Order: sequence, then C-alpha cells, then structure tokens
Amino acid sequence: MRAYAEGLVLAAISCVAIWSAWQVPAASPGDTWAGIVPFAAAVALLALSGFLIIGATRQNADEAQGEPDNGATLEIIGLFIIALIYQQSFRWFGYLVPTAIVAPLVLYIFGVRSRIGLALSVILCPLVFHVIFFVLLGVFPPYGEVFDLLNWIQG
Amino acid sequence: MEIFPALLSVITDPMLLFAIVLAAFVGMIVGATPGLTASAAIAMLLPITFYMSPLFALAFLYVIGKSGRYGGSIAAILFNTPGTAASAATQIDGYPLARAGKAGKAMKVATISSIIGDLMGDILLVIGVGFIASIALKLGPPETFAIYFAAFVVIGSVIGKSIVKGLASALMGILVAMVGLDPISSEERYTFGSFDLSNGIGLVPLMIGVFVLGEVFAQLEDRRKNPGETKENDSTQDGNNLTWEEYKPCLPHALRGGFIGAGIGVLPGLGSAIAAFISYGEGKRRAKNPEQWGKGALEGVAAPEAANNAVSGPSMAPLLTLGIPGSTIGAILLGVFLIHGIQVGPTLFLTDKELVYKLFACGMLGIIAYGLIGYFGATQVARLILKIPTNVLYPMIFMTAFVAAYSARGSMFDVTVMTVAGFVGWLMRKHDFNIAAFVISFVLAKGAEETFRQSLLMSDGGALIFVERPIALAFIIIGAGAIAFRVRGVLKDRKLAAGGLGDA
Repeated sequence: MRAYAEGLVLAAISCVAIWSAWQVPAASPGDTWAGIVPFAAAVALLALSGFLIIGATRQNADEAQGEPDNGATLEIIGLFIIALIYQQSFRWFGYLVPTAIVAPLVLYIFGVRSRIGLALSVILCPLVFHVIFFVLLGVFPPYGEVFDLLNWIQG
Repeated sequence: MEIFPALLSVITDPMLLFAIVLAAFVGMIVGATPGLTASAAIAMLLPITFYMSPLFALAFLYVIGKSGRYGGSIAAILFNTPGTAASAATQIDGYPLARAGKAGKAMKVATISSIIGDLMGDILLVIGVGFIASIALKLGPPETFAIYFAAFVVIGSVIGKSIVKGLASALMGILVAMVGLDPISSEERYTFGSFDLSNGIGLVPLMIGVFVLGEVFAQLEDRRKNPGETKENDSTQDGNNLTWEEYKPCLPHALRGGFIGAGIGVLPGLGSAIAAFISYGEGKRRAKNPEQWGKGALEGVAAPEAANNAVSGPSMAPLLTLGIPGSTIGAILLGVFLIHGIQVGPTLFLTDKELVYKLFACGMLGIIAYGLIGYFGATQVARLILKIPTNVLYPMIFMTAFVAAYSARGSMFDVTVMTVAGFVGWLMRKHDFNIAAFVISFVLAKGAEETFRQSLLMSDGGALIFVERPIALAFIIIGAGAIAFRVRGVLKDRKLAAGGLGDA
C-alpha cells in the first residue's frame, strides 16, 4: 500500500510538472526552449513513478512493512503546523511575540516539563535570538503588520 | 607549491587560527552527538557566514565538516551509537574494544588513523587539483554536461536503498531548481503566477529546511522509538594508553584506507560511508588476524576511520574544478562560494587561486586541531555531549532554523521555503528517498541546464553532439554503467535472498 502511495504521489507530481513545463512559451528562432529541461525531468520522473507502481504490484504480502507509528507522525504533523503558523505570524506580529509563544510550546513537545524552564524560555528565547541575529549580526528584524512588540518597546 | 605560502599566511593570522580551532571543536561535538550531523550544523551556520570574509567563512565550515566526520567515531566507540553513517564501520570493532575496557585505546587509534587518512586526502587534493582544473578548462559544454549527467546518475543510483527512489530524488531536485525565471529567455517556469516563486528557490533556506528542520522532525520521531538514555563506555587505566607496538600493525591499514578514501572521495556522491566499509572489508581480507576483526581488533578501527576521513579533501576536487559538489557538505560550501560572489569551476584557479590554497591550508591545520583535541580530550568531549539535554537542544535548533533562514536574505518567503523543505525532507527520509541526491541535484541543475542548452545550440538542436564527442560519450557511458552496475548488484542480492529463503 505504501509503495503504491509513493508511486502515485510521484506520478501526480510529475503530471503537474509536465503540464506546467508545457505552459512555457515556445523558443524564439535560434534559441532553445526554456521548458526543455523541466519537461524532460518531469517525463523521466513519470517513468520512474511507473516503475515504483509496477514494483508495488509485484511486492508480495510478506514484504509489507510493519505498522507505522501513527502517534509519532501525528506529533510531527502537529509540529509542522506549529512551524507554519510560527513563520506566518512573523508577518503579523514580528519576531518577538511569536517566538515567546512558540518556544515553550516546542520545548513541551520535546518533553520539557519544568514550569520554571518553560517560563524562562518565554523571555530568554526571543531575547537571545534577537540579540544574536538582529543586534550582533545586524539583520533587520521582520516587521509585524498587525502588532510589533519591538516597535512598541522602541517607542 | 602554493600550499606553503598559504600555510604560512594562515599560521600568522591568529583570528583565523582561532576560527579553525573553534570549528574543530564544534565539528567534533556535532559529529559525536547522535542525531546531529555536520551537514545540519553547517547549514544552520551558513547565514552567519554572510557577515564573514570568504576565507574565514569557508575555512570555518570546511573544518566543521572535517571534524564532524571524525566526531562520528567518538559516538561509535564511546556510546555504541554511530554519530555518522560512515562511523558505523568503526563501531564494528570499536564497540567490542570499548566493552573490553579499551575505549580510550580505540579512540586514540581512531584519532591517529583519522589524521593520517585526512592528511593523505588533503595532500593528494593539493597535488591533483591543479591538474584536474587544467583539464577542466579545456572541456566544452557537451563534455561538461556529460559530467553533470554522470554525476546525477551516480549520485541518484549508487547511494540509498532504492535505485528508482534515488533517481527520483535527483529528478525532484532538478525540478525544484527550475522554479523561477529561465536565465536565458527570462520565461517563467513553475511560478504559478507567484512573484516570490519567480525569484526561484534559495539554496540556503532549502538546505536549512532539509538538513536542520527535517532533522528536528526526525528526532521527534526517534524520541518515541528510542526513549532510553545514552551511556558512555568506560575505559580502564591500561585500556586508555596506546603504545607504538600496538599501533604499528594498524599503520598499513590506515595508509590503505587513506588511499581508498581519497580515491572514492573524488567520485561525486559516493561519500565516506562507502569508503569506510570498503576499507574495512579490504582490511579484513588482507589482515593477519581476520578472526579478530569484529570482536575488537584495533586494525578494524584504523582501516575505516582513515578511509572515512580521507574522503573529505578529495571530495573538494570536483567541487572546485567543475563546480560539482561530491557531498552534501560540498553542496553547502558551494553555497558559501556563491554567496560571496566567487564562481566555482576551472576558472577559480585563475581568479582566486590564493583563496583556494589558503582554504586547503586551513583544512590541514583543522586536521591537526581536531587531532590534538581528540587525542587528549575525546573522553571529555564525550562527557560534555552526555550533559547536553536533547529535549532542550532540538527545540533550540528548531527556533534557530527559522531565524537563520530569515537572516540569509531578510526574506519571509525564504522562511516559508525552509519550513516546507523541512517537512518534505522528513517525508523523503521516512520513505527512503535520497535527500543527498535531492540537494546535490538541486545545486547542479542550473549548471547542467546551461551546458545542455549551449550544446544544443552548438549542434543546431541535435542531441548527437553528446555521442560524437569522445569525452562526453565516455561520461555518459560511465553514468549508464553506474546504473547497470547497481541494478546487477541489487538483482544479485535478491537472488541470494531468494536462495536463502529457499534453503530455509
């Protein structure tokens, strides 16, 4: 089942890639088509996905993989969703507020249960990362469109 | 003999020396920490190097890569957990030695052999790189494309469990690299109308995502599977000291391993794990005491360790002369060159020769630095690693990935790319796709496309140009041969497995 799914996902990716490469306008005279390499790579990927699907049909029941650890997968999907929200919230609230919220959350996911440690991370994580990257390295921090704590602190 | 003035120049620069020693220490810690890789550390530190001079940045990351390879042996011997794939070969004899109370002795053999192998690799690199570059200068677009083709195929098919998945990973890397404007005609490709995508996918966020965030996801999964604590194997007083009489039989194995590693290092994509296992197998075949191998032979530590580290220097040869990174660390270093506006390829030896030789000099001093730290302080390093709370370490790495991805160009889109790349990288690992092939192909794709299209223009659109030119044809045959060789190996393994089952 897993091998089928892998083959089908690859086939879907390659179909989208072929369709999208086909949208690239034709080359002007004396030039080469800009879509030639993406198109060729996508067709080759489609062929490989065909091999994967054929391989899956030949795979016998004995070779089937053990039960997947759904708990771990859910945890990782959860962390990925946190990551997506975290990066998006930079745009809304700048760097400090999202980091102050996410730091204890991620520490908790990784098994930190000390209340003092989690509380300290709310202050220390944004502070340390801000000082290293935005003060010492001189990177311009992301600006929060809705509310920016740094902007508010700096008046 | 450009290396001697370069060495003198580096030795007389205290800041650079400090950076080398620091990188040696950091690399060792990273390599020895189970679950952390030198690639992840280098990818994470990559944005910081924006603010350094090119030599400082390259030397710092290059030495971390070198020291990280060696650091894997600390985890393999002292914790019975290989810190890197290559150090799994060291673990075969390193762990029985450690269980017999000879962890310190094994560690010293690993350190000396690593230094021998790594220095041999670097010396061969210094001798051979100029020669390769002079040949590379004479290659035209069809030959260069054929080399790229061979690299894609070898990287995709030789490493990993599945040839199909390896090649698919390489093709996905190529497709991701095609996102953005075509450099020749400025036509949009795979942008789906997005302005951000028209600038293409950045190398730095992709690397940080795949190697750093992907690793954090993988560690979260591992925590559930292996919740046990890592313990250090203690050493008796006698098991801590190494005499010349004990190391003498190891020396031929270390030297042979050095040559094997250097030879494999030049070939893109094969990497140190293959070198270490070939050297171990070859060492056992030629050993006077083969029955001892696997039960705690010091020679069994020397052979793979020398080969593992000898890969490091020569793997820079295809990167510097052709712009083809032979490893993930090479791919990241290519990023550093590009960030600092240095064009990698045969012309590098005309434009930035001094920088290249200074980098080699830094590498050699880095070997001495990690050798000294490892010989006298490997057990202290191991104790330090055991004190690092992983439940705090990985969340901090998670947070660093975001700010590091942002710092590269101050772009929020890069942070999104990094996040998605992290999840995709974890999915690829979970489903046995080859992330090294994916990343290296991503890096190579633009150059390959350019040379491919230049070749087509040269031949008025005919693809026969790749067959008519002997060097190009030779490399295309090498690529096809690599697949055929691997398919033959897989079929042979299946036959053996079927025979085994039949007997049972």
